[in-house]
Amino acid sequence: MQSFLGIFDIYLLEAVINGILLGGVLALLALGLNLIFGVIDVTWICYAELVMIGMYGMYYLVQVFHLPYWAAAPLVILLVALLGAALHFLVIAPLLTAPPINQLLATGGVLFILQSFATVAFGIDFRNLGIRLPVLALGEMNFSYARLLSFGAALAGMIGVYLFLTRTFTGTAIRAIAQDRQIMPLMGVDPRRIYLVTSAIGGGLAGLAACLLVLQYDVHPFVGLSFGPITFLICVLGGLGNFIGGFIAAFVFAEIISLGGLFSDLEWGYVLAFAFFIVMMFIRPAGLLSRRS
Amino acid sequence: MPVRRAARWLAGLSVAVAALGVAASAHAQDKKIKIGVIFDLTGPLAGGGSELQYTGVKIMLDHYAKTGVEGYKVEAVYADAQSKPDIAINEAVRLLEQEKVDMVMGFFSSAQCVPVAARVDQMKKFMWITTCISSGVFDGKNYKYVFRPQAAGNQYGMMTTDFIAQYSLSKFGNEPKDLRVAIIHEDGAYGVDVAKGNEAGARKAGFNVVLKEGYSATAPDLSALVTKLKRAKPDVIFHTGYNPDITLLFRQAREQGVKFGAIVGHGAGYGVYEKLREGLGVDANYLFNTDPISIWLANQNGMDPKLPPVIKMVGEEFDKLKPGVPIRSAHVGIGAANAYVFLDDVLPRAIKKYGGVDPDALRKAALDTDIPEGGTMLGYGVKFYGEGEQYAGQNARSFPVVLQYVDDKSYVVWPKSQMQRETVLPLPAGTTYSYK
Repeated sequence: MQSFLGIFDIYLLEAVINGILLGGVLALLALGLNLIFGVIDVTWICYAELVMIGMYGMYYLVQVFHLPYWAAAPLVILLVALLGAALHFLVIAPLLTAPPINQLLATGGVLFILQSFATVAFGIDFRNLGIRLPVLALGEMNFSYARLLSFGAALAGMIGVYLFLTRTFTGTAIRAIAQDRQIMPLMGVDPRRIYLVTSAIGGGLAGLAACLLVLQYDVHPFVGLSFGPITFLICVLGGLGNFIGGFIAAFVFAEIISLGGLFSDLEWGYVLAFAFFIVMMFIRPAGLLSRRS
Repeated sequence: MPVRRAARWLAGLSVAVAALGVAASAHAQDKKIKIGVIFDLTGPLAGGGSELQYTGVKIMLDHYAKTGVEGYKVEAVYADAQSKPDIAINEAVRLLEQEKVDMVMGFFSSAQCVPVAARVDQMKKFMWITTCISSGVFDGKNYKYVFRPQAAGNQYGMMTTDFIAQYSLSKFGNEPKDLRVAIIHEDGAYGVDVAKGNEAGARKAGFNVVLKEGYSATAPDLSALVTKLKRAKPDVIFHTGYNPDITLLFRQAREQGVKFGAIVGHGAGYGVYEKLREGLGVDANYLFNTDPISIWLANQNGMDPKLPPVIKMVGEEFDKLKPGVPIRSAHVGIGAANAYVFLDDVLPRAIKKYGGVDPDALRKAALDTDIPEGGTMLGYGVKFYGEGEQYAGQNARSFPVVLQYVDDKSYVVWPKSQMQRETVLPLPAGTTYSYK
């Protein structure tokens, strides 16, 4: 009994909080991808590679051009937003009426193009922003400010997107298009413009994620491999296009990884998370918050 | 008249002899050995040390491409394994079957080495491994055509535990049985193999192993592992990783306030000091790395006199390729030194004694190799375990050393026979991870 109670120590609490903070990182990544899928009905498999390009942008602006971090961040968000819009204009728009598998393969192709482009343009070296944020110490527990920032940004991003979608005309049009693609053009809404705006916002959210991830991770051409699959799983687990579902799924997933990794091997944390995903796909195929049909 | 005729005959004969000489020389130059070289030039392993190993091998092959070996031209064909085992296998087969290379060389990742060695030996082709270290490549396999001068992973693991055991009492104030150690490793063939060596060494030394755990090198988060390290409170951490997982581990360890006496790495990411320095800043100071000795640090007094000029040449070529690097990476030296053993020792013997560069000639020449300690740029000798032995094809005379990075310089601190300075153990008070 005593050994069982022994697991309820300060480290367990630290693991729980670290899980929440990891959830913030994952939620931030899932936000943009969900928005795009919800509105345009296309999954950007290359989403994590946009984040990678944004991380390189931060590295070069801060380390090479010596811009302060706070000045570089908006530029990177703008850059990735433009990249998102360009991706839609050049790749997605011509395939809007194509079968979903074609769209998926096209964005998969962009993934490889971006990885190869980064390898050629930036080299294979791992780049580091060189910014060391202080650590928040609470008794024996320590937490990373970089992760707290990500958590805050995910929360703010979520609220911002929600307000934008509910309080602005463009946001309302985006929601309307998401509900019915065919009827909205009859009501005077230009779907091409809405798709472009949505893609730019999705890209901007990838840029925001890049600005925060670069504080925690080295950037290299294949950094997307660490995040891409998990981001995609979270979006599916939350229900593709469902912001709140994605947000909750990110925290559930992160807690399973964190606590599973604490009580067993770290690898088992990921195994449990993926097993949970598979089980949920049987129970709630349309996402955590969907009703059973 | 007879004199004039004789002179004509003589002139004619001279021309004929000269022509024959030119023809013979041209024929000799037509002979060539085509070597397929496989490393990871893209993907996560490229920056983790593979590209540096490739650079070392290429410097050596470029050098021999100019001089040739025993009248044979040396031609290299390079391929990128893209940090993926399946690509490594496909590229090895492609080079051997389509490019018609005589042999394959290189290989950074143990996860690639293990399956590629099996495939190449099955094809009865010759494979010379310069880099990967997993013992699993040879353990009980009894390959005939696969050879590796490089030290094996379990030797890495045992060298570090031996090093810490020797200093347990004098530096940590604890008998080995009271020394708390953690063994953490990436969960591929490389990490698992080194960790096995760590475990065997820890058992031999009698350490108190408080944590042993593997993780995926591409995991986006190691905070659960870091929390367990914090809970286990190890005096020493034995760590095997690539990069950027090393940087991620250190970053999260700093953020979560993990303290310890020492962390000892085992090659790969720990061998690329400038990346550690860039990622960890001043925290890269006092880190340990177990690897074959850097050729630029090896004691040249006891070395074969033909080697120092070669070391100098490799250094100059590397500086041309990567100017301004503070510490020439041990990776470059390992690649160059192990390629040199083949080109300088094995290949000439295959041509002269066994009549060519076919797999059997190369195999026989490799089995004849008998280089004493001090006969390679890495300090160790070369003698391969023979057919029927547990590690057939592995160099029986190789050994790694323990290096420590101190103030942007790298020093050998173990074994004592190679020691260049007194080790700094445990981490000095005031440093980020110091438990003092």
